[in-house]
Parts: sequence; structure tokens; C-alpha cells
Amino acid sequence: MKNILNYSYYPGCSLHASAQEYEASTRGLFKALKIGLHEVPDWFCCGATPAHNVDELLSLALCAKNLSLAENVAGDLAVACAACFSRLKTTQHRLIDNDAKRQQVEKAIDGPVPLGKKVKHLLEILARDYGLERLQSAVQKPLAGLKVACYYGCLLTRPPEVPELDDCEAPTIMEEVLKATGAEPVSWSHRMECCGANFTLSRPGVVLKLSGDILASAKAAGADCIMVACPLCHGNLDIRQGGIEQASGTRFDLPVFYITQLLALACGVSTERLGLESMIVSPMPLLREKSLL
Amino acid sequence: MKHSKMQLSAETMNLGFVKKVELLSGSSVRRCFQCGKCSAGCPMRSFMEHPPNRVVRLLQLGQYERVLAGRSIWYCASCETCSTRCPNKVDLAAIMDALRKLSWDAQGPSKESYVQLANRLFIENIRTYGRQYEMRLAAVFNVKSGQFLKDLMLGPKLITRGKLRMFHQKNRNIGEIEKIFSRIEEMRKNGEAP
Repeated sequence: MKNILNYSYYPGCSLHASAQEYEASTRGLFKALKIGLHEVPDWFCCGATPAHNVDELLSLALCAKNLSLAENVAGDLAVACAACFSRLKTTQHRLIDNDAKRQQVEKAIDGPVPLGKKVKHLLEILARDYGLERLQSAVQKPLAGLKVACYYGCLLTRPPEVPELDDCEAPTIMEEVLKATGAEPVSWSHRMECCGANFTLSRPGVVLKLSGDILASAKAAGADCIMVACPLCHGNLDIRQGGIEQASGTRFDLPVFYITQLLALACGVSTERLGLESMIVSPMPLLREKSLL
Repeated sequence: MKHSKMQLSAETMNLGFVKKVELLSGSSVRRCFQCGKCSAGCPMRSFMEHPPNRVVRLLQLGQYERVLAGRSIWYCASCETCSTRCPNKVDLAAIMDALRKLSWDAQGPSKESYVQLANRLFIENIRTYGRQYEMRLAAVFNVKSGQFLKDLMLGPKLITRGKLRMFHQKNRNIGEIEKIFSRIEEMRKNGEAP
């Protein structure tokens, strides 16, 4: 079968480890939609938030090196992780009109920086390149009756001149993609608040507070579950949910899905390929209750 | 330090440090007119002793030592809300990066810069393995920060679900990464990079 669209693909470290369900469901979904993903061979860590917190030049050089490795694989560069997406695009944005900085980075990686390689988040590929109508017609099992809190977090939309994905204060792209599956997005207050990000290792107390507020807000809005597009947000909301419940004395019981898990489920991808068993807050009771298994 | 009296004079308000921050961050510090939108939207505000707008004001007044010694810069989550909302296009998130670097370079690690320990280990992992190695990151952080039992209950859960791998990811390009790190060190030695 011929693919409709083809991309080079940068999964990022998490998708090969803690976010393996994001990788599995992305592969399953894209295969079902006939979108080709061709992984960049031997890519490196993008540096994420820690690299730019410590050393801007190193952070730019790591991303520039990855962009130059991606140049060898045809197609726009598809990125799943919100942080990798943000760092790769920040690098292009910072270097495009700063010759002095670009020369430093070129010296560090001993080669040119491909500033023209188009970097796209999976959401953008699904909503814009593939298209919402086509997505809607690919749905085999509508997620009717499932109420979902779409959580953007920080880096998919901020700062606006970098991701160029959607409005930086009132985005709709996640809700639009979700609606194609027949599920119902809830209206809620915390969809763009920070989850505590990489403080999860050094100051988990910060995550308990910030992610706790997010979970409480989703629950209050009547959501059955949360949908995310970032492995770090997922870790804070899913892995730390038990700790947050313990600290706050509130029971949330909110499964946290990756965008591709819900879409793949709706598009008839076998549930064995969705990585549902990797999730710490099990989605099984909810999916059974909604007759979605 | 928070409530200590501030003595301002033409001497204390020298712009040398402000210019250094502006050069490193690529953002103006002087353009801030204290509207406070950054602090209004900051999710980490309640953890900081100086809210983001006050950090900038202190810099403008030459009081950078208070900022570098304080907690605020280490509690910024890089969420970019401040930079997104600033009406004067002050890129506060980039200024915070610059301040963290200057603080670390000037006084090394401190109790407040705990986060930086995690950041350094993260970078060390990249240099050694090319990619993140979460098991090592968590284990070494716990040992180095003296919190041996932190998240002990989570570990087995993550391992059985395949979320925490015992071994690091392989990368055939690994020699290339070391070259990038060494070239940057070399450039800094020769004064060719900040």
C-alpha cells in the first residue's frame, strides 16, 4: 500500500523509554492512516529544558546536529514530543537572523544548520496536512460519550513566534482533532497552565501543586480523562497522580491518554498496539464503561 | 535579604551587568516598565521570593546580587508565559536562562540551585550516551542530593510497565556528540563563544 504522506521522524528520548505508549500508538495510527514515518538514524537527545537552562550554545548545537541528521531523510520532520518540537523550532528561530550565533553553532557541529527543514508536531500533521475531514472519515469506532480535557501545557503554543502551531492564549487544534473521533472536549480552566515540567526530579513538591491544580480543574469540568501531547506532561499527570491524590486527599482517577492513543483507538487500531497497559492510571475501567474496548 | 534596605546611587546603578544579561539572553532588560503581566501569569510565583517583574526591576537598579543569590531564578519552569505576554517584548524566560548561567559561573552550586544539579546530570547523560538514560538520571540524582529513598515506591511500578529501562539506548553516532562538547569547550577557551 502506498503512503498518502511521508515524513522524516524524530521520536525523542522519551518515546523510546517512559513514553513507549506514545511511540506505539503513533506508529499504529500513522500506519492505519497511511502516513509514512521514517526515523532519523542515530538521532541525539535535543537537550530539552535542562540544556538551555545550563548552556544556550550547547542547546542550540544539539538541535542543530539533529536537524542536520534529519536532512538525510526526505520529508518534513515529524516530532511527537512537545519539548523536542519546541527546542528544534527555537533553534531555527534563534539562528535565522543572528549570523554571529549561527556561525558559533556551525563551528560547534562542524557543518551547516539546515534552517529550512520544516519541523512539524504530530498535531499539525493530523489536523492540517492530513486534514480533519479525512481524519473523520478514517474513524471506525467513534468515541461517543467520552468527555476529554485537552491539555496543551506550555511548549505547544508558547512563545507564539516559535511553534506557530495555534493561538498562544486560546488554541483549538487539540479539540478539533479530538472532535473528529466523536469524543466530546470539555471546557476547562487549566488547559494551558504549566504542569511543573522537569521539577519532577528535583522538586516534586512543585509538581504536586501545579499538576494537582490541573487534575482538580479537569475533574471539576466533568472530564472522564485527559489528553496530552507531551511525555513530560504525561509523566506528571499520570505517574505522579497517585502521589498527588495522597498529598491532597482527593481521588481523581483520571486516565491520561496521548493524542495518538485516542485517535488510534477510534481509527480501529488493535488495542494491543496502544500501550494501554503502560499507563499508571489504568484506562480499562473507563473504556469498558463506555463500551470502547 | 528580602527586606533589607536598598541604597541606590549613581554608582550602584551601573549598567555593566544589565548589558551582560542583555547580550547573553538576546533580550532587553531596560525596556521593562513594570506592568507586572509576567508575574500575574507566572505559575511559579508562589515559590519565588521575588516575582518575575521584581527580578527585572532589581536588575535595572543594579541589585543583581540579590537576584543571583536568591531562589527565584531556580524556580522558573521555563513555561514561557511571561515572554508570551510581555507588551514590551522582554524575553524574560531567556533572561532567566542567562541569570542561571551567570549565577552558576559566579558562585557554583548552592542549596537554591538544586534544580541545576538535575540539569547537569541530564547533560552528562547526553555526553556519555547520546540520549537520556532515565534510570541513571534518577538514581544518581537521589544519591548526589542525599535523598536515597525519594520515589522509591514508584520505581518498581515504572519498571514492570516498561517505563523505566535498565539499560541505555544505543547510538552509533556517539563519537559525534563528544566532538560537539569538546569543540564548544575549545571555543570558550579561545574566547570565541559566551
